[in-house]
Amino acid sequence: MNSGVIAAYILKEFKELLRSRMIAIVYILPTMIIILFGYGIRMEVTHARTLIIDNDRSKISQDLTVRFQNSKYFDTKVVTGITLKEALESIKRAKTDILIIIPDRFEKELLKREKPEIAVFVDGAFPVRASTMENYVKGVIFDAASTILKEKPKNLVTINNRNLFNQPMRDEDAIVPGLIGLILLVAPAILSALLIVKEKEEGTIFNFYSSAVSRGEFILAKIVPVFILHSINIFILFLWATWLFEVPFRGSFTLYWLSSELYILTSIGIGLLVSVITRSQIVAIVLTIIITIIPGFLYSGMLMPISSMSGESKIEAHIYPVMYYNHIIYDTFLIGQGLDSPKNRLYLVILLFYALFMLLLGSRLVKKETG
Amino acid sequence: MKIFLALITKELIGFFRSWGLVAVVLYSFTLDIYIAGAGIEMQAKNISVGYVDETGGGMSQKILSRLHMPEFQKPVMFNSREALSRSIYNRETMVGIIFESDFEKNLQKYKRAEINLLLDSISATQSFQALQYLQNILLEYADLKYPVKLKIHKLFNPNATTSQFMAMAEMLSVITLLGVILTAAVFVREKENGTWEIMLLTPVNPKLIILAKSFSQVIIVMAGVVMATGIVLFGAFDVPINGSLFAFFLLSFFYAFTSAGIGLFVAAVSKSMLQVAQLSILIMMPLIFLSGAWTPIHAMHPLLQDLSLISPLRYYIEGSESIFFRGTSFVDLWSYFAGVILLGSVLYFYGFRKIGRLF
Repeated sequence: MNSGVIAAYILKEFKELLRSRMIAIVYILPTMIIILFGYGIRMEVTHARTLIIDNDRSKISQDLTVRFQNSKYFDTKVVTGITLKEALESIKRAKTDILIIIPDRFEKELLKREKPEIAVFVDGAFPVRASTMENYVKGVIFDAASTILKEKPKNLVTINNRNLFNQPMRDEDAIVPGLIGLILLVAPAILSALLIVKEKEEGTIFNFYSSAVSRGEFILAKIVPVFILHSINIFILFLWATWLFEVPFRGSFTLYWLSSELYILTSIGIGLLVSVITRSQIVAIVLTIIITIIPGFLYSGMLMPISSMSGESKIEAHIYPVMYYNHIIYDTFLIGQGLDSPKNRLYLVILLFYALFMLLLGSRLVKKETG
Repeated sequence: MKIFLALITKELIGFFRSWGLVAVVLYSFTLDIYIAGAGIEMQAKNISVGYVDETGGGMSQKILSRLHMPEFQKPVMFNSREALSRSIYNRETMVGIIFESDFEKNLQKYKRAEINLLLDSISATQSFQALQYLQNILLEYADLKYPVKLKIHKLFNPNATTSQFMAMAEMLSVITLLGVILTAAVFVREKENGTWEIMLLTPVNPKLIILAKSFSQVIIVMAGVVMATGIVLFGAFDVPINGSLFAFFLLSFFYAFTSAGIGLFVAAVSKSMLQVAQLSILIMMPLIFLSGAWTPIHAMHPLLQDLSLISPLRYYIEGSESIFFRGTSFVDLWSYFAGVILLGSVLYFYGFRKIGRLF
């Protein structure tokens, strides 16, 4: 290897990247994703638009509706004298989330212990929201019902729960660290995916074929600028997470930084591999987007904890690098065991080998006549 | 018209000649949607449970036997609290239950007892749901005789399967992605190769070339939509169709034009495919996330709610959801059609002008 040649080649690649005006996008894209997703994804349900048709208008039914009105989970409107059809139409038009119908003679039947029936309709278009809303409604109604319960319950078991790691159950804490794992997988991969296939499509790759530059030097020159540019994002994203989204950081920053650098290398390796096996830029772009975004979500543990997976998805999760990185990231942000935990040490080593393997595989596949 | 058709045929032949591209497009419209639908699960399911039982068994085991699939995995026994807590810290167990030694005694003597729960609440929603499941199980166990009955109906998606919804949302994202990138690529590739000039030397109106080129990509996308709807949505996920299928295809057609319009704009401002890639993602990400596919619009930050009004994907997704799940009638869909067509024609016209000005 000739260090002078490498330096010159790296400089050339750097200049080309800067000239393509894409430097701004290298920094805009990650920031935009973290802000959009961080503010945009809301899993917890508050202010569900609730319509209560109170056909009874008795003291007990009003007690019940007041409980809904006083809860931050519901924006309640109590109406009388609209038909079921009109009310259902309002759900159909996505104007109402929950419809609760209290029957007439509700109080009378209740006092006579005839078990009156309350009908509840929930908009099921968003399944997670639907079951959360269902549970809220159950909670309010059963809670109200238990206050007028006559007999003492037997076998009542209550839960004394301690929420670990994300005590207030904030959505931001749950999502933002996972987003870093998604961004650092997608963004460097896309940038590096085009590097070689671009030269193939334009024919400039023959400059490399016919020059004395070796395969290793070529790859090094290609990845160093991307690596340096995206390394800065590790710090930018950290700032957004802790300062803008106020996610606590309980672990070691060194571990965060080190594992992120390895992860960026892995991502560049994926892009490199795509770049080597494809023949046109458009295919390389679409392929990279497809193989990074969906797995980046699926196996991040952001939506579903890895421990809840089974069968194929568990195996697939272990094949992609996201899982290993995200385990460490969530640890550094929320848990804080750091390198004391053998699992974190193991995953860090796996990341290292993953990065080396991807880069090696990519560079092995670059064709170059050696003479 | 004849020239128009010839131009479209040329583009389609060009598309099929690049087998890599054909393969990627096929993959996106089938397997990619399938994987997203089958894999993304936001409901808490198959939750891992560990427990430490300091009583002699009995009541505690009866309660544990009520935790079963699909909500919970089989509870795993740990010998000490330390072991349980270590497993939770390593994120191998999500819910840890501790039965203290006086649990059974309390239950028999006072008819009430308490269990200690350690909950990994990193995935906030899932943890919250796990807690709700547990509470319901314990309430059932207590066998309270409530004086009311509750009948809950879930409308439109009674089994509340995330997979149907996710598959649909992913299909709409794929349409956006390919609509934008394919269209932009068709133009930028000619720019990069310098074949644009040759096209312009032919005695064909440049406007017709732009129209035909973008239309050919709309055809490819629409073919993908028909395929994905038939094979993946209906075939693999049994998505219900409560409204008119024709209305959905019509809406998709208008939407495909909208995304082609964005593609034209991207093509006009980029010089290379690298720029196309990054710009498309930069434009598409907000589009997809402001569309309400992940979070209902009315639950978003107020500023984002306002911004979402200018996302054509929002109208498309709400419209498609209404057609598939809610079964809204054709007439009531007018607002979604109006939204897509209005934003679409503005975007398409703007893109058309912008790229037309280059020549």
